[in-house]
Amino acid sequence: MNGTPRALNRFLLSVIGLVLLVAGAGAGVLAVSPAAARWWQGYAQAQLDWLLDVEARTRLLLTSQSWIWLAVAVFFLLVAIVMISWIGNQGKGRASTLLDYQGNADDDGAAGAVKLSCAVAEHALKSALMERTDLVGVTVTSYDFRRQTAIKVRVLPRQGVSPHKVAGEIADLVAALDELLGFEVPVLLSIGSGARSRFTKAERVR
Amino acid sequence: MSGPSQERQRDLDRHILRRETHSPRSGAAVIAACLVAATALYFMLESMLAALGQPTWLASPGMMLQWIADLPGDTPRALLGAAGMLLALFGLIFLCHGILPGRRARHVISHPRVAIVVDDEVIASALAKTARVAAGVTREQVMVVVSARQVQVNVRPTSGILLSESQIQGAVEARVADMGLNPVPSVSVKLTDSGVIGV
Repeated sequence: MNGTPRALNRFLLSVIGLVLLVAGAGAGVLAVSPAAARWWQGYAQAQLDWLLDVEARTRLLLTSQSWIWLAVAVFFLLVAIVMISWIGNQGKGRASTLLDYQGNADDDGAAGAVKLSCAVAEHALKSALMERTDLVGVTVTSYDFRRQTAIKVRVLPRQGVSPHKVAGEIADLVAALDELLGFEVPVLLSIGSGARSRFTKAERVR
Repeated sequence: MSGPSQERQRDLDRHILRRETHSPRSGAAVIAACLVAATALYFMLESMLAALGQPTWLASPGMMLQWIADLPGDTPRALLGAAGMLLALFGLIFLCHGILPGRRARHVISHPRVAIVVDDEVIASALAKTARVAAGVTREQVMVVVSARQVQVNVRPTSGILLSESQIQGAVEARVADMGLNPVPSVSVKLTDSGVIGV
């Protein structure tokens, strides 16, 4: 539930895929069909002649080269920047503040602010879960999801542990956390299996 | 908790669960972005050299465009065709990543307060344990495959000991019902014809 731009991922992947597909299929057709090749050479040569004509007419005095190559360079630079920021947007969205509450004297009798760090909820859940012997791994992280802080609990149970039992007990812990904090935070519980739970022995006695 | 706030909570849970049960396509996105960025940087270099009137590195933009316009030109046809197919294949892979739903091997357990997702592997190992206890066999004799709508339990019985398929099926079905999974998978149990000796 991190801030990965999923819609953008799919859109850009589709566009890139489509462009590669069309280019590849086009090259394939040119390789096998002489008629298509003749048509392409006529069509593309006309376009290229037009471009070279524009280039010849747009030479700059300073470098005696056309500025269209400069424009092309800027375009590709922008493309590269967009691509790099696209990579940078994957998996972002970690949060640090759980609650930021401004009190006022009229409402609850005291002016002042209450700020709770996400570490409060994270440590409370994590320390409660670390005691359990049927879990080999526990990670608790907070994310900003749709302008609301949400907590993600990822647990890796040992082999053979019933997921619904783990889920029920962690839901009880979350209820206790609600009690402790005084408000409800959206919680995602993800029960998975990592390499460690896969290769450790199942518990014999329970 | 008031009504609208609970409504909002459910809405948020639904979105979180949808995101958790579908692939974010980050891997493919990073690969595609690296490829496109590298290509764009190379073209930027060449067009910058052309703009400054410097000697080209590999080929000037004009030369590249001329080569493309002359295709197939004197390029070996087989090579061009193979390169085209390879390019189209990469394009198809990216396109599929963009369009296909990309469901992860996970199930949702419905709960009013907490949004819960379970990897299918965890469900499989829990069901394998149930089947093993119901059948009275060792761990190695049970294999469980969990997919979105189906649970397949394969049991290799110990030679000479008769196992009841319906009993195992009943036990596994009861455990699946306990889990309250969504989507609900159907259970099928298969006993192999050949048994195992010496376990």
